[in-house]
Amino acid sequence: MDIVVILVPVAVGLGGVFAWLFVRAARSGQFDDLDDPPLRMLQDDE
Amino acid sequence: MSTLPTADRGELACPHCGDAVPEAGLFCCHGCELAYAMVQDAGLADYYARREVSAPRPVPLTGAWDAVTVRVRDDGQAEASLCVDGLRCSSCTWVVEHLLERTEGVSEARVSYATGRTRVVFDPATTSLHGLAERIAGLGYAPRPVDAPEGRDELLSRLGIAAFCTANLMLLSASLYVGWFDGMEVRFQTLFRWGSLALATPIALYAAAPFFQGAWQGLRARTIGMDVPIALAVAVLYGHGVAQTLRGAEGYLDSLGMLVTLLLVGRVLERRGRRAAAEASAAIASALPTSARRRTATGVEEVPASELSRGDVIEVGSGQELPADGRVLQGEGQVQMSLLTGESAPVAVGQGAEVVAGALLLDGSLIVTVDRGGDETVAMQMAEAVRDATTRPVPPDRIEAMAPWFTGVTVGLAGLAGLGWGLTAGLEAGLQVAVATLVVACPCALGLSGPLSMAAGLGAVARRGVLLRDGRQLLALGEVERLALDKTGTVTVGQPAVRGGSDEVVRLAAALERSSHHPVALALLAEARLRGLVVPLAHDVREVAGVGIEGVVEGRALRLRQGGPGAVVLEEGATSVGLIRLGDAPREDARAAVAMLQRAGLQLTLLSGDHTSVTEAIGGWVGVDEALGGLHPDDKAAWLQAHDAAFVGDGLNDGPALASARVGLSMHTGVTSSLLLADGVVTQPALRPVVAAIAGARATADALRSNTRRALLYNTVAIGAAMAGLVNPLVAAVLMPLSSAWIIAGALSVPRRMERLEASWTSS
Repeated sequence: MDIVVILVPVAVGLGGVFAWLFVRAARSGQFDDLDDPPLRMLQDDE
Repeated sequence: MSTLPTADRGELACPHCGDAVPEAGLFCCHGCELAYAMVQDAGLADYYARREVSAPRPVPLTGAWDAVTVRVRDDGQAEASLCVDGLRCSSCTWVVEHLLERTEGVSEARVSYATGRTRVVFDPATTSLHGLAERIAGLGYAPRPVDAPEGRDELLSRLGIAAFCTANLMLLSASLYVGWFDGMEVRFQTLFRWGSLALATPIALYAAAPFFQGAWQGLRARTIGMDVPIALAVAVLYGHGVAQTLRGAEGYLDSLGMLVTLLLVGRVLERRGRRAAAEASAAIASALPTSARRRTATGVEEVPASELSRGDVIEVGSGQELPADGRVLQGEGQVQMSLLTGESAPVAVGQGAEVVAGALLLDGSLIVTVDRGGDETVAMQMAEAVRDATTRPVPPDRIEAMAPWFTGVTVGLAGLAGLGWGLTAGLEAGLQVAVATLVVACPCALGLSGPLSMAAGLGAVARRGVLLRDGRQLLALGEVERLALDKTGTVTVGQPAVRGGSDEVVRLAAALERSSHHPVALALLAEARLRGLVVPLAHDVREVAGVGIEGVVEGRALRLRQGGPGAVVLEEGATSVGLIRLGDAPREDARAAVAMLQRAGLQLTLLSGDHTSVTEAIGGWVGVDEALGGLHPDDKAAWLQAHDAAFVGDGLNDGPALASARVGLSMHTGVTSSLLLADGVVTQPALRPVVAAIAGARATADALRSNTRRALLYNTVAIGAAMAGLVNPLVAAVLMPLSSAWIIAGALSVPRRMERLEASWTSS
């Protein structure tokens, strides 16, 4: 059962990496406008 | 619609706005010439090749531009928002965006395709927001100052962190609670407790910060808002948790995480709703033209559309949109009113006809007396209504809004119980009772049950073929007692088909209708193809509003006109050549669906603009309770309002009805703008999905009611017991997630309830 001492922090840490990625994405404005990018994609020159 | 409107009868068309050019010259006005030069200078000539709709004529810039907040960033660049109205196609957006980007001093420009909201970053030393707005106005589009957008805040990040920490906190806590009963090695217990504290700390200090800020601001302003009890609860729970962990006891920090996460979910949803409302109304406003040509005593002047008022006389040319509601004074033409009605087939209008702002004049030219201008137009009223409807708090929002109050009451009760026990049994016991009361209370029913049931209901209904705008419509649909159905296109297939007529008559009639997109024309052409007839060419074809279509085929001057209900007559001069009978068949599932809806206890009414006799015949056949024919779109709207009924229409000229019904569903027509007015869309060409939607709506309401009962029961018993000192914090901490699971299970029962309801309606 000693492995728990390692695995639990590892699991939380791994989740933490994703939480950090999410926060970074939110702060850089990735979720600000969810409607425009799919339309913008259809423009030829962009 | 990919052709550019050109000026009538061979005159030169202005390369910028497409209007006729007076006398000698290339442009219709100086403004257009400047706009054209500006586009060419910026190297954006491509715009004229790729646009689908002509640009509006430039009008002078209006608006209080100096009052707009311009944010100066750390790097010295200024950032500002504005909204550009009059963007009609993606090329409009493209040209505005690129024109801004190629303006000296501008480093970044983003124009939203959906709403026209524009964000610019520029060097304040080189240019100004006013200057940029003038440039956009110079193109013919209408920049409008907007409130600074709610800056990108941390709310989403806070929710992300809170959700992540809470999920892990619950795993650790669950292990600890199980360990309490089953035994657990002390070192694991210590690890998990300190781990819990580590995870709870970002929740209390970072994620819950808005509540503390709100509480502080409230206290300073001497008003106690909802944030005060929430902040208090967070502080007590966290402080207690820290103290317990230091002492080597249970901290119950998972309830803190749950509380903060749920409240943050509520905040995010609330903000999204507000934003969606603002954008929905902006989308309508931006579809309206921004300038108008008003007649004056001396001639014609270009004025901003917002300045039009009752009694003004305006000119509208081919390819332009009407800037105001009014009546045609002179002229005739074809208008397309897809913005308002979803009807993409053009309607012929002549003298005296009513036209509305946003309608596109496809050909001809009109002189219109304005009845309602500016903010009073039907379209603007609609925009206003959309904004109102989405900001007004209604049932689901009310439930969500109760969550903070619930927290407040709980904190109050906990404080009361803590005080009582503290005074009689000592500080330690008082604290224990207070914490147990806080922990045991389940805000889940209020915070989660509403959105979850709604999502389950919307999902279940969508799988069956009805897409609803949001949960409000679902709830309203569950409450209605009357349902009105449009006849053509809803109860019937909606496509007239030729039922009788000789080959010769069909052949000639088809020739006249060859270039028309009217449903009758399509039916005639389809019939001609079916019969293998060769359709000759027609000359001098003209649609005469209210009469029919006339032209020359094979040297004969023919006229095709309405010949009583369900028939068209082909005439040559005064003599009739022949009659073609047209019919519209009821949908295959119409009878079955109507029977099910009646067993569901709904009063069904058939509403139609068609003749009363035809309407009653169809109504009798499908079995509705009442069939009303000969109704104007406005009559339908008035009837629906008077009877508080839901309505299913086909989006073709049912615009007002869809808008004024309690819940307006539009049959799938492929016209996206009808969605603007409808509360939902039936995605299959059938009526059965409507039955499913009613069942789903009622199932959702049932689930909500039962959840409210469960929550009330649980909270009364649990909080009561906790206050009486019968529940220790550990039991409370185990009970809380269990009660949440109970509520969530209730919310997820919607599809099952829906199937049960439907099954009970099928049995005859």
